[in-house]
Amino acid sequence: MRSKRFVALHVSVVFLVAASAAFAHHGTSGYDMEKVVTLKGTVTSFNWTNPHCVVLMDVKDGQGEVKNWIIELGAPTILSRMGWSRDSLKPGDEVVAETHPAKNGATNGLSGASTTLLKFVVNGHPLAFR
Amino acid sequence: MCDQKTRLATVLLAAAVFSPNLRAQTAGPSADAKKQDAQSSANAPDFSGAWAVVGGSPSWDPSDPRGAKPEELSMTPWAMARFKAARPPFGANATFDNTNDAVQKYCDPPGITRLYSYPWQFKLIQTPDMVYILFEFTGVWRPVALNRDHPKDPDSTWMGDSIGRYEGDTLVVDTVGFNDKTWIDQVGHPHSDALHLIERFRRVDQDTLQVSVTFEDPKAYTKSFTGKKVFKLSHSPMEVTLCSLSEMQSFQDEVMKPTTDSLHK
Repeated sequence: MRSKRFVALHVSVVFLVAASAAFAHHGTSGYDMEKVVTLKGTVTSFNWTNPHCVVLMDVKDGQGEVKNWIIELGAPTILSRMGWSRDSLKPGDEVVAETHPAKNGATNGLSGASTTLLKFVVNGHPLAFR
Repeated sequence: MCDQKTRLATVLLAAAVFSPNLRAQTAGPSADAKKQDAQSSANAPDFSGAWAVVGGSPSWDPSDPRGAKPEELSMTPWAMARFKAARPPFGANATFDNTNDAVQKYCDPPGITRLYSYPWQFKLIQTPDMVYILFEFTGVWRPVALNRDHPKDPDSTWMGDSIGRYEGDTLVVDTVGFNDKTWIDQVGHPHSDALHLIERFRRVDQDTLQVSVTFEDPKAYTKSFTGKKVFKLSHSPMEVTLCSLSEMQSFQDEVMKPTTDSLHK
């Protein structure tokens, strides 16, 4: 599932004053909702499926090692109402993506749920976000 | 076979929704109920449209809608024990780790009042005899009979037995006959099979629907309480988001589990 492809290096972190109001069916307790990480990498998979759409992307970390990140988004019905489709991302796309990282340091992030959708720029073009 | 079942269910639902002659079989309408029904049908407020939750507060406790202090709801010892055992997705006790949320673990029905907390739409379909409430999340629906009383000894079910009446601009829905398998909210508050719900639907303006729910459950709560949620008119068509156990398990294994893996801590 986690392929290793070359990606550009870029990880930056922004601390938010208040947590976003993301509202996934399972809650947000596994993610640090007061922190936003900006990832720059290459999409390896985009799963347009319930209960949540998932983006897999390769990102080079600060030591130059490529890590495959799992980015969670809203359900297809929720994302489609925000302007996304199953074709919004495809393997090979160069992506700059904001995400709330996992609290435990895993390469997992939450980027969207019911009312929020963090910024995704795909091949230089931003997708809808709110 | 599944397709046949799906088609049959669709036909039955369509018949139920669009047939004005369908009558509940459990109890005949009283004279008062018939009179109320006639008044109601002639003056029923319009709840048409799809409704989407605003904000998404996970608890119905009016003094703690975010579930920051969920233990302060006035629970009986029986309910408190269940509450302490709950590992819910939201509120002060929110956790990803080893959840016992039956919706996540088994795709169990979320229960009526918890359904209003999800970010999916619902819709009320009004007929002279019945109101049908259709929920996008899990594709469940519930009937509300406008012309009869509750059965004297209703079965205990996931959705209970709902009867309704119109009071001016408000639809009042009274429901009993629940099992005790669901939580009333997203923060792990339980209920018993004695739960009695009174829901009040009121269209505050063209684009706003307010739903207030009074919870009466003497086995679980030492006093009743009433919570409110506000929904906005959606311009998106109704869709269905099913809860597939295989999809849910894959998601938990591949997406959620890494965030609780102690090796990363």
